[in-house]
Amino acid sequence: MIQPQTHLNVADNSGARELMCIRIIGASNRRYAHIGDVIVAVIKEAIPNTPLEKSEVIRAVIVRTCKELKRDNGMILRYDDNAAVLIDQEGNPKGTRIFGAIARELRQLNFTKIVSLAPEVL
Amino acid sequence: MVVGTMLSVASTGAGTATEFFGEFRHLCRVESKFRQRPKRISVRKCMDGNNFSHHNCIYRVPSTRNFNFKTRGSYLVMAIGKENVSEDTDDTYDDLFNKFGKVVFRRKDQKPHSEEVDDDAESLSFAVEMAKVASEVKAADIKVLFVKPLVYWTRFFIIATAFSRPQIDAIGSKIRDLAEKKYAKVPSGDSKPNSWTLLDFGDVVIHIFLPQQRAFYNLEEFYGNATSIELPFENQPPFRS
Repeated sequence: MIQPQTHLNVADNSGARELMCIRIIGASNRRYAHIGDVIVAVIKEAIPNTPLEKSEVIRAVIVRTCKELKRDNGMILRYDDNAAVLIDQEGNPKGTRIFGAIARELRQLNFTKIVSLAPEVL
Repeated sequence: MVVGTMLSVASTGAGTATEFFGEFRHLCRVESKFRQRPKRISVRKCMDGNNFSHHNCIYRVPSTRNFNFKTRGSYLVMAIGKENVSEDTDDTYDDLFNKFGKVVFRRKDQKPHSEEVDDDAESLSFAVEMAKVASEVKAADIKVLFVKPLVYWTRFFIIATAFSRPQIDAIGSKIRDLAEKKYAKVPSGDSKPNSWTLLDFGDVVIHIFLPQQRAFYNLEEFYGNATSIELPFENQPPFRS
């Protein structure tokens, strides 16, 4: 359940450390974003000497949420943090590697690029 | 563990088990579990004591009690698992864990080994065919990686370099056409040419990069442990004009 003003961790090596959601892309007036949704976010904290800087506005895909994700087979998936991966307008990830486990739902939502860079797919 | 000690007490204590529990209660921290146990044993005696009918059971209580405890002691691990699954699952799992050392779980929808091999061969032929198509459209540095041992979600990666977006478009559309015509597969992934175009056929995932992106993402290094498949057209002499 990511909404505007939610702070998220960054799960890639793009150089940003923390994001704040400012808009959810999709339907207008949408309240919450879940795993696999694209958000517009602002970088709140960045690693020094990287191409990305603080207060830059970027797009990101949510890959982990504290809110549980339910699958049709009854499986429930819940992570300890909210995390997102930065992407550009074309959908290519800005970083070259993803950290931590991600959900396989991303593949169905056409983020196979992120899945193929991830070390672990749940 | 709790289960082990408790049951050995029960088996050695024989007929005097209930009195023993009375004393033991003061010493032991897990008294509630211990107190439940003798009740359950006495109930089961009537039920499964070598199939005695009900009135027989009443007469034979003194003699069968001993017998019962002995047999229980001798095949403890199995007995609890068989008789008592509904009531006592924690203990059952503990015993199974002690016996086998790990949880043994097999999904029902898994395919037998031979079918897996068949599927692998089918995807391999598909992947090689796609790589061939890519090389016909002059994609460079084509690699087919067998990534099934590393990731569960696909079998083969094809990584290729194209030198311009029109070329990526050409490779993508040619691969799409052939896959649809010959194998009736429609890819998900990018529909427009992109600096990293990805075509996802399920068992085969095709990545077409521009040279710069290929060096940036460096997928070969990330999947360095995957076995690379030799392509038939690689050994041919290069085309000279």
